[in-house]
Amino acid sequence: MSETRLLVVEDEANIVEALSYVLQRAGFLVETVSDGDAALQLLKRERFAAVVLDIMIPGMNGFDILRAVRADPRLADLPILVLTARGQAKDRQMAEEIGASAFITKPFSNAEVVERLRSFTGKSQQGEEG
Amino acid sequence: MTRDLTGLKIRALRREKGLAQGELARRAGISPSYLNLIERNKRAVAGALLDRIAEGLGVHRRLLDEESDRRIVDALEEMPADPLFAHETGHPGATVELVGRYPEWAKLMLRLYQAYQDRNQAVLALADRLNRDPFLGESIHQVLTHVTAIRAAAEIIEDEEALPEDDQEKFLSIISSDARRLSEVAQALAGFFDSSHVRIGSATPMEHVDAYILEHHNYFQELEDVAADLLRQSLPGEPAEAMLTRLLKADASTALPDVALSPASIRFVRTRQLIAGPVAEAVKNLTEKAPALADEEARRLAAAALESYAAAALLMPYDAFLEAAEASRYDLDVLARRFEVSYEQAAHRLATLQRPGAKGLRFAFMRSDPSGYVTKRLPLPRLPLPRYGTACPLWVVYGAFQTPGVTARSYGELPTGEQFFFFARAVEKLSTPPGYPRRLLSVMLALPAEEAHRVSAADGLDRSSALVPVGTVCRLCPREACLHRQEAPLINLRR
Repeated sequence: MSETRLLVVEDEANIVEALSYVLQRAGFLVETVSDGDAALQLLKRERFAAVVLDIMIPGMNGFDILRAVRADPRLADLPILVLTARGQAKDRQMAEEIGASAFITKPFSNAEVVERLRSFTGKSQQGEEG
Repeated sequence: MTRDLTGLKIRALRREKGLAQGELARRAGISPSYLNLIERNKRAVAGALLDRIAEGLGVHRRLLDEESDRRIVDALEEMPADPLFAHETGHPGATVELVGRYPEWAKLMLRLYQAYQDRNQAVLALADRLNRDPFLGESIHQVLTHVTAIRAAAEIIEDEEALPEDDQEKFLSIISSDARRLSEVAQALAGFFDSSHVRIGSATPMEHVDAYILEHHNYFQELEDVAADLLRQSLPGEPAEAMLTRLLKADASTALPDVALSPASIRFVRTRQLIAGPVAEAVKNLTEKAPALADEEARRLAAAALESYAAAALLMPYDAFLEAAEASRYDLDVLARRFEVSYEQAAHRLATLQRPGAKGLRFAFMRSDPSGYVTKRLPLPRLPLPRYGTACPLWVVYGAFQTPGVTARSYGELPTGEQFFFFARAVEKLSTPPGYPRRLLSVMLALPAEEAHRVSAADGLDRSSALVPVGTVCRLCPREACLHRQEAPLINLRR
């Protein structure tokens, strides 16, 4: 059975550490990358079932990545879960306009992230953990 | 419209004392009908007759004097220029009557308005800080980042049964390191609000100094006197400029600030050092008892401003400067050359030519850096100059940065309908090292459009075709359709 691969784009090492752990425990295969340019290269080169994308990252920022991804016909339908800071209504609105699939505001609960990604990838809890 | 307050005050006082017009007329030795004309401001009254009327009313003559009331009238008449009142018709001409008949109410209103202005500016300053301060934005981002890491790690420890020991340790150490960084950010934030409290407080002393200088119409006889005394020490047959050069040379040992100043600036700094001693007492007398200068910081700032004033008075002696200004039709380049000063120094001196009995044109003065930070300002009645917030980008004080060294000029119409002639030039204050951005400041003068023909800078500019609709502070400006609008009006007057 093929594993469901996720890409986590986040520059904060401790958040990456915790997120990877939680997502792996939920049965996903997790790749992580901490800057925007590297993220886009990886997305063009390899296949992922979904992406967790922090808006505030070094290099090419989250918005730029979203635009570039949506401009690529092969990636146009890729589910992208955007992490924004609470209260940044403008960021959220902008990300929505340029094609974010869903949002989670920081600080988020782990269960919420897992839940969202499961719904994107059609991965049921039972199916993978068994 | 009559500008005279005395008649109104006589009438108000007479009624207050319960005196009939005939009785007061008898006491003052004039006919009741003549007193009636005086009370209705149809006849001027002064000198011995005013003394007799004061005596007849049983009040001190000073109570009928109008100098201090005049200031209140002037200040109140600036009120309708506030965009807040742009859609009110107001009662032009009624101000004198208001002050004459109800002086206490007029003072109250003025204090209220000044307090409103202060608060308004404080609100704008605070809003700017909160919205745009990069430190705040970055701090909040960090708080959320650390809290996110702590929450995620804590949930793992809580939710995972039988978490391996090294994982447990890993996530505990994440919690502990992010908690430490979170508390650092929290402390920095607390420190920011502590110090910003102080900094916002210190925005007011400059306001006090502005108010103080305005109260004197930017003219200080005491300082002019000190400068004139110094200039009288010239050798027989020695012109004032030559004497000043000699004095400066004798004083040349004094240290200069460690920056690359222009020759005119060096001359100004030296002149200031030269006059600081002789003018110290006058400055102390002026600032110590001034009620407008509320605290030590305001007095210190005012003293510095007055020292510079005295230096300018020494470099550009009043009578000679006024004469040269009139002769050149206020040509700043001519004046700067003639008095060996910078364009800015000449412009600032022009705004001080307000000696009673020997007045030059009355100018508003404003100096801004390219970011719009206003470092010097002297408003005119009906021409308020912004200090905080986003000013109107249409003013030539900003446009002048596009062509440094060249005078930018225009006629501008305020939302109140008042028209002014503005002219500004961006000048280089200090020379900067190669590769470093030039340090430009824009210096603007403005005067009512009707008087522009007396100024050479307005030559050849047609008022009707060069008239630009301008505002003051963008957020306070009611011109909703303006193409240059940056922000929505703070107060929606059309509601």
